[in-house]
Amino acid sequence: MKVRIAVIAGFGIAAWLLPYGLDSYSIHVVNVMILFALLAIGLGLAMGVAGQINLAQVAFFGVGAYTTAILTTRAGLGFWTAAAIAMAAAAAVGLLVGTPALRMQSHYLGIVTLGLALAFTNWVTNSQVAGGAEGISAIPAPPLPGIDLSNEYFFYYVELIVFAIALTFGLFVVRTPLGRRMRAMRDDALAAGAVGVEVPMLRMTAFLLASIFGGVAGVLYAGLIRYVAPETFSIANMFLLLAMVIIGGRQNLIGCVVGAVSLALLRELLIDYPTYAQVTYGTIVVLTVVFAPTGLAGLPSRVTAALRRRGWRWGGAATTAPALKPFQRYAEPPDAAATESPVGPILEVHGVSKHFRGLRALDGVSLAVAYGEIRGIVGPNGSGKTTLFNVISGLYKPSAGRVRLAGRPMTGARSYRLAQAGVARTFQNLRLFGDLTVRENVLVALDRTRTIDTWRYALWQVGVLRHDRALRSAADEVLERFGLADFAHLRPRALPYGIQRRVEIARAMARSPRLLLLDEPAAGLNGEEVRQLAEIVRSIRSSGVTVVLIEHNMGLVMSLCERVTVLASGEVIAEGTPAEVATAPQVIEAYLGDSAMSEDVPAVSEVIR
Amino acid sequence: MQVFFQTFIGGVSLGAIYALVALGFSLVYRTMGLVNFAHGNVVMIGAYLASTFYLSVRLPFALAMVVAIVVTGIVGVIIERVLRPLENKDFDLMLIGTIGFGIVLEALAIIIWGATGRAVPSPVPAAPLSIVGIRVRTYDLMVLAIAAAATILLVLFLQRTKRGAAMQAVAMDHEAATAVGIHVGRSNAIAFVIGAALAALAGGLVGPLLYVSPSMGGSLGIKGFAGAILGGFGSIPGAIVGGVAIGVLDSFTAGHFQGYSELVTFLVFTVIIMVRPTGLFGERTVNRA
Repeated sequence: MKVRIAVIAGFGIAAWLLPYGLDSYSIHVVNVMILFALLAIGLGLAMGVAGQINLAQVAFFGVGAYTTAILTTRAGLGFWTAAAIAMAAAAAVGLLVGTPALRMQSHYLGIVTLGLALAFTNWVTNSQVAGGAEGISAIPAPPLPGIDLSNEYFFYYVELIVFAIALTFGLFVVRTPLGRRMRAMRDDALAAGAVGVEVPMLRMTAFLLASIFGGVAGVLYAGLIRYVAPETFSIANMFLLLAMVIIGGRQNLIGCVVGAVSLALLRELLIDYPTYAQVTYGTIVVLTVVFAPTGLAGLPSRVTAALRRRGWRWGGAATTAPALKPFQRYAEPPDAAATESPVGPILEVHGVSKHFRGLRALDGVSLAVAYGEIRGIVGPNGSGKTTLFNVISGLYKPSAGRVRLAGRPMTGARSYRLAQAGVARTFQNLRLFGDLTVRENVLVALDRTRTIDTWRYALWQVGVLRHDRALRSAADEVLERFGLADFAHLRPRALPYGIQRRVEIARAMARSPRLLLLDEPAAGLNGEEVRQLAEIVRSIRSSGVTVVLIEHNMGLVMSLCERVTVLASGEVIAEGTPAEVATAPQVIEAYLGDSAMSEDVPAVSEVIR
Repeated sequence: MQVFFQTFIGGVSLGAIYALVALGFSLVYRTMGLVNFAHGNVVMIGAYLASTFYLSVRLPFALAMVVAIVVTGIVGVIIERVLRPLENKDFDLMLIGTIGFGIVLEALAIIIWGATGRAVPSPVPAAPLSIVGIRVRTYDLMVLAIAAAATILLVLFLQRTKRGAAMQAVAMDHEAATAVGIHVGRSNAIAFVIGAALAALAGGLVGPLLYVSPSMGGSLGIKGFAGAILGGFGSIPGAIVGGVAIGVLDSFTAGHFQGYSELVTFLVFTVIIMVRPTGLFGERTVNRA
């Protein structure tokens, strides 16, 4: 911590003293460099942190600069008034460009945002009010009492302060709940929705943030250069910006700044050979993507990892290997029998069908799960079990039928709405947030802030920090309960499979759900781990949570579940106690395929082991 | 009405070029899951090569095209080779890697051919034919015929040859394809080469229609890509229909909005794609579960 403060102070002092060592040309270069760094932070937030391919950053920059230029020269507004309106315009355009992200992702989003950026350049090149290809000149210098901002040395300090605030704010976002939700969404949007992250609104927030950084850079550009023309906001510069972010390391805002500074310096070095500069940075982008996808920011950890592999060690003896601790039971409600459980089922599925083109994955499935029950759902592979879970948890909209949760209709609700209503789930093939630590995985699920609470980031940062601290202590509690405290700082993909399964259950339980859906929780677990799982599920139920689980391990289903529903070919073929279901002829037929053969089969318990 | 058809015909011939570009995008995407943002720049390289062999080396137009296709194919092999570690892995990284390649290709073109660009004369007589009162340039007809022939050849290759069938298999499931003994790497390389060859064909043909310059790749690539998405990414008929649709849309917006045609084209494209993200013939959903 002391080292960090010293480093920050060192950088601050160096930055403050920098102009004393620079001639008037160099200070201009530095001023432009800071603008690129601002843009890179915005792009890094959208692309690296939130995972939204945004190739319109340069257009946000342009909207900021052009609005300032037009309002000061054509409408005669003062610089700062124009700047405020320009910021609002950039934010509005950011939300507009972000809208497609609600419907599409990845390369689709890339081409749409690129297309919209081209549309912007096309508009300024042709528009009368934007000055056409010549652009707008004679933008007034921003007035500031006592300081002449037409002097680039003074302007540097304005930029430096804005930059410091912007970077601090960016880092603040990344390290607090909002940024954590964004990173979770980037790693796995489906799983993020399932733990209550409002994915659509968060995508818009990412674009809003990117456009605000773009707008700030644009306003400063107009004040610094005092001339705007279309080519500054061209696709070539968009790609240059992209290169900065990729080379620096898109997931790390400091990396984005380093990337921006180094590429700007490279361009300056090769100022007389712009084409060769272009070849160089294009090549570096390709090499970075292939060999060092985390960019410059990821190099230190890669180097230390490489050294460690070669047997280098430093700083004290090796700590003891992390170990999985036993699960600590939930405290049971004081008198489980006396607490009146609400009447009616908690989950009611009525006549639900789901078709994928010709395939009927679910065909008129109905079932009702009572409060406090442990319900098993079994069936041969491909019988529609996971599809049913996906419908219940809001990942699929059913083709027909109704789903009610605690009496409230929830048919086709979005997964985050269901999560907020108290449904939590795990996934058959594990969907943990790969680039988040185990603690952060739990933190995302604990976090109940809605998108509307984001205003705090602008106006009440102390509240955000306080909330974050509360979340962290709650997360430690969850990790402690599930015996995962030793793994808190590790990334899930580095952990053994059985532990990853437990992390997923811990994450689901961090939502404090009413209904927990477990999709094959015992798959890939050894005997001891299955025993622990049974203990965990029982304790979860005793704490008042209803559990529905899909499972192939019949031993577990038989010992754990009160009732079992059997699916085959998308239909419910049997329902009842484990013993009833196990002897039902239609169940034996579904598992063995031929009823005639079942006579030769000695015992049911063997058949369905 | 006359004007309408005239605009339509004009759009169709440029649309045929976009369709060839979209075809290259889609073929590479469906085979190896790679979205090649450098494709537009490969088209530009093809256009320069074709025009160089046609104008400077003075080869016949057809022969210049063949040479350009071969050389561009080699460029395709190089790109595929470098990006191979990323195939079927991280989508976003691949996308950015190909953008990097595009930057390099554009800069190389400036170094080799200069920044100014050149006009390429039409290889066939310029006098337009008049069909029921609509003037059609002979060169446009030639473009349509060649594009149609290339599409038919590609479809025949994919459906009638063993190599083509293997590529289809890789497209559906690359792991299963490996399991039955298909060399996925080679299959991907062939897809990329064919994609580059289609790009060179599009580039060679577009030369006499537009101005050949290092920056032409940007707009051609984006419009070809938009065509591919409009038709349904990865679908062969979708690429043709989408490409032609973008060409026609472009032609109409140019007629009605003059300088603002690009603005309108991309706004319309955005709205269409938001309403129907899978495109006309798209099968895959955008957010794969």
